[in-house]
Amino acid sequence: MDLQAVVGTASAAGDLPPHGLLLSRLAEAVLRGDEGDIAAVRSALRTALGDAGLVDALAVVAAFNAIDRVADATGIPLDKATHQATADMRASLGIDAFRANHADDSADPPAPEQG
Amino acid sequence: MTLQALAVRDDLLSAQQTAWDALGEPGTWWTGAERLALAAETRRAEVCPLCAERKQALSPQAVSGSHGATDLLPAAAVEAVHRIRTDPGRLSARWAQGLLADGPRGQALSDGAYVELISVVATVVLVDTFAQGLGQARRPLPRPRPGAPSRHRPAAARPDGAYVPMIPRGENSGPEADLYPAGFVPNVLRAMSLVPAAVRGFFALHGAHYVDVAGVTDPTIGGRAISRPQIELIAARVSALNACFY
Repeated sequence: MDLQAVVGTASAAGDLPPHGLLLSRLAEAVLRGDEGDIAAVRSALRTALGDAGLVDALAVVAAFNAIDRVADATGIPLDKATHQATADMRASLGIDAFRANHADDSADPPAPEQG
Repeated sequence: MTLQALAVRDDLLSAQQTAWDALGEPGTWWTGAERLALAAETRRAEVCPLCAERKQALSPQAVSGSHGATDLLPAAAVEAVHRIRTDPGRLSARWAQGLLADGPRGQALSDGAYVELISVVATVVLVDTFAQGLGQARRPLPRPRPGAPSRHRPAAARPDGAYVPMIPRGENSGPEADLYPAGFVPNVLRAMSLVPAAVRGFFALHGAHYVDVAGVTDPTIGGRAISRPQIELIAARVSALNACFY
């Protein structure tokens, strides 16, 4: 899978799961709260995936819009194995910048898990 | 069950109803009425002028002001709800420590109350996001149930690298024996373990929308009408949009 799709810079659908660009647009529209865009993408996905597929896609959007807040509000460190396995990917996609967003003027960003 | 001719699977609706009803029940550190006030505040945060201004600022700390008064909740709780709802990607250790040590106007939050607050906010965000995606009206909040909070604090919880104490892997015994699955336990599952009821409640809800906790680390497990790669693409895209590092 083209991981650039995660950060919204994928240029083509070829390396994505089926309907990947539409699924990405769904996430963007719902998080932006743009009712018109949500309705348009929802209609397209309903045609592409069927009712059950659309519902499950929306369910995942909702689930991660919530659990992201659990992670950020509790300040959990990245799991050690994940931290090691994703170093190159995070660097290439610019995801490490998200960690810096948690830094205060006088505090360091959350350190990776130790041990 | 059908919502406006779009069939939503029963287990998902059931999970939402269970979680929604639980908002009005006495929790571990908050009463039912207080939990509902937290839920209402989560919705109010979406239209908070202070939050909107902070969201646009280079640093949220640079913008001072008030979110507005509420009768049931201390100012620290209101601040926490609003920031978690509107700008979670820029929450910091210093901010969390400030809430837990002093709080606005000297009204600190206990770490347990803060964790339970997070679970309430997350529950409301999940259910409301789903409704918005479907183009449905939001659920009305339930009525509060009487009763006192349990005040249960797991003996095994301790500082473990997060803003709040957590139960270490392998130490979930006794009343918490059911809290973690066998095998790898990701930190996100441990995040709210200071309030075990929050873990059980939230992940029952989350599992119905994503993949069951026990199946998260197995990429062959899906069980949905979309494939696991499609699921993970959506999950990752949402998290990137929220600037969630974890």
